[in-house]
Amino acid sequence: MALKALDIYKILPKKNCKECGDPTCLTFAMKLAAGKADVDLCPYLDDNAKSVLGATTRPPIRRLKIGIGERSFTVGEEFVLYRHDKTFNNPPGIMLRVSDTQSRDEIASVAARVRDETFTRVGTGLMFNGITIINSSKSPQVFAKAVETVENTADLPLVLVAETTDALAAALVHCGTYRPIIHAATRSNYREMCALAKQHGCLLVVRAPDLDDLAILAKDCAAEGVQDLLLDPAPQSLNDFIVRSTAIRQLAITRTVPDLGYPVYLDAARNALRDAYLALGIVKYASVIICDPLSPEATKASLTLRQNIYTDPQKPIQMNPGIYRIGSPAKDAPVLLTVNFSLTFFTLEGYLESSRIPCFMFIIDTEGLSVLTAVASGKFSETLVRDAIKKFGLENEVSHRTLIIPGYAAPLSGRIEETTGWKVMVGPRDAADIGEFLHEEWKQ
Amino acid sequence: MGLPAMFDWNSVIREVVIGATKSDGGTRAVSYRIGGGTTLPFLEKTPKPPLIAFELCDSPQYWSPIITNYCGDVVNSPAEWAKTAGSAYGADIIRLYLTSTRQRNYSDFEAVKRTVELVLDATGLPLIIEGSNEPKIDSEVFLKCGEAGQGERLLLGTAEASRYRSIAAAALAYNHSLIAQSPIDINLAKQLNILLKEIGVPQDHIVIDPYTGTLGYGFEYSYSAMERIRFSALKGDTDLAMPMICSAVDSLSVKEVRDAEPGTRDTMAVAWEFYTGIAAAAAGAEIICVRHPDSIGKLKEAFRSLAHSKVPTGGD
Repeated sequence: MALKALDIYKILPKKNCKECGDPTCLTFAMKLAAGKADVDLCPYLDDNAKSVLGATTRPPIRRLKIGIGERSFTVGEEFVLYRHDKTFNNPPGIMLRVSDTQSRDEIASVAARVRDETFTRVGTGLMFNGITIINSSKSPQVFAKAVETVENTADLPLVLVAETTDALAAALVHCGTYRPIIHAATRSNYREMCALAKQHGCLLVVRAPDLDDLAILAKDCAAEGVQDLLLDPAPQSLNDFIVRSTAIRQLAITRTVPDLGYPVYLDAARNALRDAYLALGIVKYASVIICDPLSPEATKASLTLRQNIYTDPQKPIQMNPGIYRIGSPAKDAPVLLTVNFSLTFFTLEGYLESSRIPCFMFIIDTEGLSVLTAVASGKFSETLVRDAIKKFGLENEVSHRTLIIPGYAAPLSGRIEETTGWKVMVGPRDAADIGEFLHEEWKQ
Repeated sequence: MGLPAMFDWNSVIREVVIGATKSDGGTRAVSYRIGGGTTLPFLEKTPKPPLIAFELCDSPQYWSPIITNYCGDVVNSPAEWAKTAGSAYGADIIRLYLTSTRQRNYSDFEAVKRTVELVLDATGLPLIIEGSNEPKIDSEVFLKCGEAGQGERLLLGTAEASRYRSIAAAALAYNHSLIAQSPIDINLAKQLNILLKEIGVPQDHIVIDPYTGTLGYGFEYSYSAMERIRFSALKGDTDLAMPMICSAVDSLSVKEVRDAEPGTRDTMAVAWEFYTGIAAAAAGAEIICVRHPDSIGKLKEAFRSLAHSKVPTGGD
């Protein structure tokens, strides 16, 4: 159970020394209670007090910042198993994979792709997050060269995957200070891996297929002084992944096994099942996902899935109210009024585009509610329509005075006509029928 | 140390049988028992792979040209199409949409019966049948479907809160199951199931369709609706303890697919169906419906790995 701020305050030294960066012990206690500060910031706590506080105030899954600069990203700091409980916070980083046996040009082109490629949806640019470099050659020099090539092309977060610390050490000469991830610490090499991670300040993946072993290994690495860890449960099937990843998440957020309180790493670079691993990693708690460069189709689908899953399901996505053009509408083109719930917007937009009739979409601010709910709750009203016409200058955009409203808003048609002076046509209930409606009913 | 138990569930998902083989009084080559889950999807000791239903129709003018172009002439005969879906595409179930009934003032109900019979003759797979779009003819259409499939344990679709009586009547009269659809809302799903219970539809004859908005177009809501239904069922809400079906019917008409280069439109459609299908399965859907034949093999391979037994084998 999380402690309240006042309970935490009782354990603090109450010196108000400001050494933690906060003005008083009480404000520090409040931050701790909210999971927004680390107990280690207080220099006067004994180990016992630290362990009592640490276990209850730290986020159940450690927050990690990967990479530096503009493209760095944060993972971890998740609190729930179900996104409907309290949304997921930090979307997984997808790190496209190259092998150090590929040519310089091939490696550079993947890095350039991750640097430049953006896919825009709902007004947001979606991108891959970084590059994974595999030491397939087994040669430290070749590995270092490949890392150098990536570094020369783009400032991107990196994952370095090698079997030997020699290879990693050679590569870290080029990128060690940019907070890359190194893979992977196992039971047999964890001391050397920890030493390397500490020396360069990088993040360390610990790998073990058995969750007991994984927890003990993570604990041992933390004891060596490396706390920025990721967990690789080494799944052999999609089933392994969903079972292990769900277990890690559940045991971590309930603080049942605090040593599993780190973000999950998933290697999705498997030929035939790559898309499946990627999709499953996105929905089931992976924080860093490695995969081969994706086709344009898989790129759009996977980035869209990630955007969907990391959207707060309680909050409807909203479009900005205003006038949107479909094609190049002339002044006598129809005006279709609807709400600013993004799903409504995109559905209608899609059908309007396929109808090939240039027109205006006139979006009013129903706070993201759908037509039905907005009408039922009174958010969609004649005064809202009147004010929006004025605010967005609709009268200057078109030469006519006719609004087409959604079928479900039909009860408002009379009142909208009276209040605005515009003629109202009631459109279909289903956006799918809008093309036929316009072809048959829209006559000036 | 051994990890502690993670969940404290106290209920199970009800089982629903789809299709009847000879021994059960039908003529299907296979039948399926879905449901039975006792924990989150795929966390069971022996998880079952989700089933893949191929959606087709008896009047292809109402279907996406992406699919009719890809499938070719076979789309002009629902029987041939159904046969191909089983033998060549690898589907587990056929979902037949009676789109012919969408014609204005449709009244040839004997043709409905004939179509269903022909499809049943052509394939040994269990059948889902989607009736009319028009409440006025629901009653006749569903009765004909029910009658034509008597003994076959069909799954009839789709009941909604505003129109469920005709379909329920046909399901009850001929011992079929039905799909209960509600608009992405756990409470409405529950309400509809209660309405169906009140008119006598047995709970092991209901499959929930929480409505799937496709990837990027409502899937963010559908995903959580499915997770919540599964969670409530496992926590003991018997009015929600039915297996779920996912059909992202808009996948083929989204902007990303429509605007794809002609040469990549098929792969885009498959990517959309595939990513939606995997995520829906992870949220608890046990029947995943698709319209592109290429989605089937890809999903099947993934579902095999997803329902892989827990014995380590050393790789995929």
